Amino acid sequence: MKKRSAAKTGILIVITAFFLVFSLFPLLYMIIQSLMPWDQVDKSVVLLQPTLRSYQYLIGTGDTADALMWIRSLINSIIVSLPTAVVSVLVGLCVGYSVTKLQFKGKKLIYQSLLFQMFFPIVILLVPRYILIKPLANHYMGMILPLCISTWAIFMYINYFTTLPNEIFEAAKIDGLGELGIILKIAVPMTKSVTTIVFLSMFMTRWNELMWDMLVAPDIKMQTLNVLISTQFRAMGNFPGPMYAASVLLTMPIIVLFLFASKYFKEGISFMLK
Amino acid sequence: MTEKTISKKRYRDNLTGWLLNVPYLVYTVIFFLIPLVWAVWLSTMNWNLMSPDKIFVGIQNFTGMLKNPKVIASFFNAFRYLVPIVILCFLFGLFLSLLISSLPDRIKGVTAVLFFIPYLTSGVATSVIVRYFFSYNSSFNDFLRGHFNLDVSWFQNPTTAFWIIVVLIVWKMSGYYALFLLSAIEGIDSSVTEAAAIDGSTGFHRLTHITLPMILPTLTTVVVLAAGLAFGIYTEPYLLTGGGPNNATTTWLLEIYNTSFTSFRSGEGAAMAIANAVQIFVTIQLITVVMNKLNRKFGY
Repeated sequence: MKKRSAAKTGILIVITAFFLVFSLFPLLYMIIQSLMPWDQVDKSVVLLQPTLRSYQYLIGTGDTADALMWIRSLINSIIVSLPTAVVSVLVGLCVGYSVTKLQFKGKKLIYQSLLFQMFFPIVILLVPRYILIKPLANHYMGMILPLCISTWAIFMYINYFTTLPNEIFEAAKIDGLGELGIILKIAVPMTKSVTTIVFLSMFMTRWNELMWDMLVAPDIKMQTLNVLISTQFRAMGNFPGPMYAASVLLTMPIIVLFLFASKYFKEGISFMLK
Repeated sequence: MTEKTISKKRYRDNLTGWLLNVPYLVYTVIFFLIPLVWAVWLSTMNWNLMSPDKIFVGIQNFTGMLKNPKVIASFFNAFRYLVPIVILCFLFGLFLSLLISSLPDRIKGVTAVLFFIPYLTSGVATSVIVRYFFSYNSSFNDFLRGHFNLDVSWFQNPTTAFWIIVVLIVWKMSGYYALFLLSAIEGIDSSVTEAAAIDGSTGFHRLTHITLPMILPTLTTVVVLAAGLAFGIYTEPYLLTGGGPNNATTTWLLEIYNTSFTSFRSGEGAAMAIANAVQIFVTIQLITVVMNKLNRKFGY
């Protein structure tokens, strides 16, 4: 379409690189500091003698009272985030499919209810939800249940199913496939890219949740990594090395997951717009 | 088909439709409708979350807010955060998307993904980094003292503390919004840009007369999303400033959390949440109305 000189492209790449360095600097800084010898943390950005001491400290070779707390919190984060992502996907798929491709009484009501919830400021529900879930405090269920369904995820599926022609589903029905068969054999494979985005986004959102987990799981044995870092932040403020290392453990799994799935993103991102 | 089979089919369709929605409906009743009613009821009560007696206080929780400096600060801070965050997210998001879209196709995707990475980081991790980076003994502050004779207590100064939080959020979100805008820019029909090029529209003229009007609906989405985001700030002030100094960085969420669960005044917390929700609702409506007018002007 357009022809541009190599020089102009070169300049654009240099500008992009400049902003990219700026954009990724905090994360690079975090990784570098997590590998610094303890007497040099925050004193320099040049890593001369990388050491794993901060990480060793976290996995219990340090002299903490509770040797396993960091590992346990990492596992807690997974235990809480994984079911949340799975349930959001399943519910999104079922509600999205039924609201767009099935004819049944009350469909409009469900759609209206979804719209209402989507734009409703969730902050109002905080106190009553806490009172409601108090019997499940310090229990995984108390952490998972109130946040495991997302109207955003449901709308992602609704938007995607709307773009799929009805004929596909009608043809399957004529071929004698039941509703369950249609969902499993047609809807699931066709929504792969949306499922990837919803799954990862919900996993990430849950992984990075702070307020709710702090409220319902104050017990240190139940804390997620995100909560543990924030509660230890003040107490361990004089040990920046391990705090940086813990932050690396917190951020890297999510970044790696997304990078692996980034090819699905191009296809699915346009549906996030609606 | 006979009458009977049709009604049977209809019954089955209704049944599957509702069955597929059962988990969502159960969730909505338990974690949405019940808490919603409860919240309104609670906002008229004086209750410390533990004692068996709850005292009905009417609208006292609401009138009390007008005299609470923390609530007043949260109210105004909501707008103080909203304006720079929306404007900067908009500008950086747009700039990044235009920059990425002008790159050779081969590296476009990779670059967009790399700019997206900050969005994935937890506010806790970035708060840890920023806290140490700006701490008194950090190499950055050493450098400022050594070379510019500048001694800034970043989190004790209301202005710097506030702007650190704003920059942190803009840094985190810009790449995410850029991805939205990029997909809109890439979606512009090439015949439009070609026709414009023939008519001599290039560079800045093309940006303001072709590109921006063409992606206006997406720009609207970004503005509304960023506005909603500005109302949800919690992690950064909680970890970096605790809302201080002098309430300069506090937010509704932080104050609602502290009132309800640190001072155990749950009724007051519920009332504050309702006030906050009203503010969010009115503000977002206003922004939507303005953006819709703008959209209509350009024929959307």
